[in-house]
Amino acid sequence: MSDLTALEVQLRARHLTRHFSARIPGARFRAKRVVYAVDDASVDLVAGRVTAVVGESGSGKSVLARMLARIIVPTSGELELRGVPIDLHAKRTLDYAAQVQLVLQDPFASMNPVHLVRRNLERPLLIHGAAKAQVEELALAALRRVSLDPPEKFLDRYPHELSGGQLQRISIARALCVQPKVLLADEPISMLDVSVRLGVLNLLRGLCDEEHLAVLYITHDIASARYIADEIVVMYAGQIVEYSRGTELVDAPTHPYTQLLIASVPDPNNPVAGAAVEGERVVTTSSRDGCRFVARCPQAMGICRESEPPQFQVGEGHTSRCWLYRDLPESTVDVALPRRRGGGNQEQMTTSK
Amino acid sequence: MARSPKVIVGLVITGFFALMTVFGPYLAPYDPNDTSFAPNLHPSVQHWFGTTSLGQDILSQTLVGARATMVVAVVAGLVATMLSIVVGVSAGYIGGYTDDSLSMLSNVFLAIPGLPLLIVIDSYLPATSRSNALVIGIIIAFTGWAWGARVLRAQTMSLRNRDFVEASRIIGESKRRIMFNDVVPNLLPVLASSFLFTILYSIGAYVTLAYIGLTSSSVWNWGTMLFWASQNDAPLANQWYWFVPPGLCIALVGTGLALLNFGIDEFINPRLREAGLSARQRRRMGLERRPRLGLTPVVRDVESPVTRVPRSVAS
Amino acid sequence: MTTDAVAAAAEVPVMETTPTAEPAEDRPARWILDVRGFSVDYGYGDQAVRAVDRVDLHLDRSTVLGVAGESGSGKSTLVYGLTRLLRAPGVITGGQALFNRGDDEHPDVIDLTTADEKELRSVRWSEISVVLQSALNALNPVVRVGSVFDEILSTHRRTLNKSQRRARAVELLTLVGLNEDRLMRYPHELSGGQRQRIMIALALALEPKLIIMDEPTTALDVVTQREIISELFTLRAHFGFAMIFITHDLSLLVQLADEIVVMYAGRLVERASARALFSAPRHPYTLGLLNSFPPMHGAHAELNGIPGSPPDLSQPPSGCSFHPRCPYAMPRCSIDVPELRGLDEGSRSVACWLHSEGGVAAPVELSRRVGADRASTDQSGSVRP
Repeated sequence: MSDLTALEVQLRARHLTRHFSARIPGARFRAKRVVYAVDDASVDLVAGRVTAVVGESGSGKSVLARMLARIIVPTSGELELRGVPIDLHAKRTLDYAAQVQLVLQDPFASMNPVHLVRRNLERPLLIHGAAKAQVEELALAALRRVSLDPPEKFLDRYPHELSGGQLQRISIARALCVQPKVLLADEPISMLDVSVRLGVLNLLRGLCDEEHLAVLYITHDIASARYIADEIVVMYAGQIVEYSRGTELVDAPTHPYTQLLIASVPDPNNPVAGAAVEGERVVTTSSRDGCRFVARCPQAMGICRESEPPQFQVGEGHTSRCWLYRDLPESTVDVALPRRRGGGNQEQMTTSK
Repeated sequence: MARSPKVIVGLVITGFFALMTVFGPYLAPYDPNDTSFAPNLHPSVQHWFGTTSLGQDILSQTLVGARATMVVAVVAGLVATMLSIVVGVSAGYIGGYTDDSLSMLSNVFLAIPGLPLLIVIDSYLPATSRSNALVIGIIIAFTGWAWGARVLRAQTMSLRNRDFVEASRIIGESKRRIMFNDVVPNLLPVLASSFLFTILYSIGAYVTLAYIGLTSSSVWNWGTMLFWASQNDAPLANQWYWFVPPGLCIALVGTGLALLNFGIDEFINPRLREAGLSARQRRRMGLERRPRLGLTPVVRDVESPVTRVPRSVAS
Repeated sequence: MTTDAVAAAAEVPVMETTPTAEPAEDRPARWILDVRGFSVDYGYGDQAVRAVDRVDLHLDRSTVLGVAGESGSGKSTLVYGLTRLLRAPGVITGGQALFNRGDDEHPDVIDLTTADEKELRSVRWSEISVVLQSALNALNPVVRVGSVFDEILSTHRRTLNKSQRRARAVELLTLVGLNEDRLMRYPHELSGGQRQRIMIALALALEPKLIIMDEPTTALDVVTQREIISELFTLRAHFGFAMIFITHDLSLLVQLADEIVVMYAGRLVERASARALFSAPRHPYTLGLLNSFPPMHGAHAELNGIPGSPPDLSQPPSGCSFHPRCPYAMPRCSIDVPELRGLDEGSRSVACWLHSEGGVAAPVELSRRVGADRASTDQSGSVRP
């Protein structure tokens, strides 16, 4: 199919935006407030690569995942699956579901409590065309792929009989049953016991490497992102504020929010003393003037209050949405693809006003 | 289900009447239509419940009448529950125009007074149909499904947002399969409760219809007995043995079903359950009868469960 | 670099009480809580499940004790049991919990396990207060924040009139960095971080000697968490209260706790100062737990956490409950339950057969010197799959 040197972009998203309009409580009858849950997010998911999206709650990371899975319709933007543009207003096709799968956060809630594990694995197999006779074999194989051995022990159990770690693996197995090219994982380990988390993370990494999947790993924990990711995206208030290939941005964060995030992570090997940042949390409101982080930014300048910064290229494969870097060129390369030697396919990525 | 006294009593009562429904006609000592006995007899050894003013044995009427009453009620319950599932779950899950129109339908049926509607429909029935339990059951169901539909709609709307429903959507499951295979099984406790409540309602509706005289008088049921009793001024003539048995049976069935419903409520809402220690256990441990919040009990000299039974590795 | 320099460079600073304007406690630290053999069961008879098994704790005034553990460890059950706030079917089945509500010259000790309702009420909130995990569940949604303060103050500080109570409430809010207009709000109008700050302000309202916090920052994002933790530091320095901080996030405790106890399946498996625990863990579970946190800096190495999952307490493994997951398990571990034994002249303790008889069986990862750089001597991950 594609030659080995070219990158297999499985899912390409450009300028995805999702806004909700909500009535302002107590205000005039028709007064509405627009909340930009996700604003102008672009990302490429590449086969064999783990892309991590780091953000706190309210940053829009979960909405982004659901837009990529096409269970939420974006307000605007473009989506391309394996080179084929997708009509975002059409219904999600079974074929799309077969290629792009999503694993949810709470392992206990994502399994129907009245159904056996067996049924949870059989359904995706049958829906996507497996022969009835083969279903049991395929289900056992899926359990083996997520290191649940011996698989027979798990088929005829109810979810409440299993632990969180086991259930999350079954969730992943269920997603793998349809043989997707893209696996989206929305905070897959945050509800698991600490000692169990790394096992599941290692599983995701292993699946990415062995089965050549494109994995999107969403988390609020930047340390875990650093552990398995090939590239990291940081989101704040619906926008991508920093991106780096590899884990560069953990060692050399350029955006003030990323710096704050990293400084706040409790690191036993590096206990930090530092001033806490004061200020109110920013609501993702309709105010498009100015940078969204300005209220909490220790380095805010005049221009930050007036206009929203675009992405600037702060290094090779490293962008930052911050006016501190206005002397650097604006990012003109696709967010995820590294600059190819000798130019090649370049896209404008400036934000429009 | 919690083995609370309420549930046990409810089960016993309901079970008793279920037996009466099945075996009543065989156990009846006489043919209920038989007018050959002396009329207006008080309860005696030959006639446990006495006789009517026509000379019929009341006990036999009661026993035989159980069947029609209960069968109609159960048929009505089943049909109404099925209708409420189809309407309620569809409205709750699909949303949008479907929800709007189905909700309007339920609201209309809720607003229309049930009994007058029943009377009107019933008066249009040909006489032969009036004796058909199935037909009566269906028209009673017709007036009794709307409440259940509303409850199921609300429950479905809350279930719709649960992760496992979203997960089914993500793997590509069709709407219909999600509704009936994912959502409905989780509605079983609510459905069971709604079913029992609908049976209760149906008994009331049927008895009322019979009491007014709108059902066929050739089929014995408790309501018909009450009809004849009032026609013959039984209350005035102090013939309590005529109307008390059927009335008591109706009341008892209702009580039994209501108690069962309590049990199901406790099952659905774990917080209503007697959490953990039963009354007997508490007594054995020397604790107060009711647990008090903020005063965790202390019981010493309890053998450690860990050291009591050595267990093998469970992994 | 010499080993001493390495040790010094990697040294984790011990948190010390640095009083600001007025030192709250100038005396040498004395005990405030002494717990011996504390046990809690759920249920009774054959179905009883032991959730906390013979735990010993000792807390000095103005110190911070961290309680670390995962699900089923019994950490929450322990503290709810200690304060007699445990719901049915929890039953305390053994031990004593001595609380010194007086001071060192005039100790006034009560045993929380035998206290009656009146004594408990006199101790609750004015001497011991609790901050729960989810403030949204703890705050009445139809009551304004100001009313909650008012109620607490009017119940316990009868001498204050209404305006004095309000002034005190404003004072408390300022302490936790909130504006006084928050008093007029309902809980749902506030963010998670603000609600948690209010819980802390409420806990401080009567200036208790001991504050127990059950995962207070778990539901918050990491930036808010950091802010709240640093506020707690300042408050503790100012007021001098002791704190028990329960969490599953061991990495939080290094910055916060003086001493840490690790619980597993209802038992206390290790106790040590924060510094000692982090640089030189003794229990295999502690080591595994420490290795479950991917580092923020340094080389990318594969870590494995701990295989398996925490046990079902209704069917605990025989002997040491950790042995099915332990990479260093010996035959003895599946037979005998290891008791908590003191090490290093009693400055720390561990419940593990590896450290019996002089610790000859202990591998190098579990015998490090306190203060040594972990990364340099550690083989990352577990030895046995």
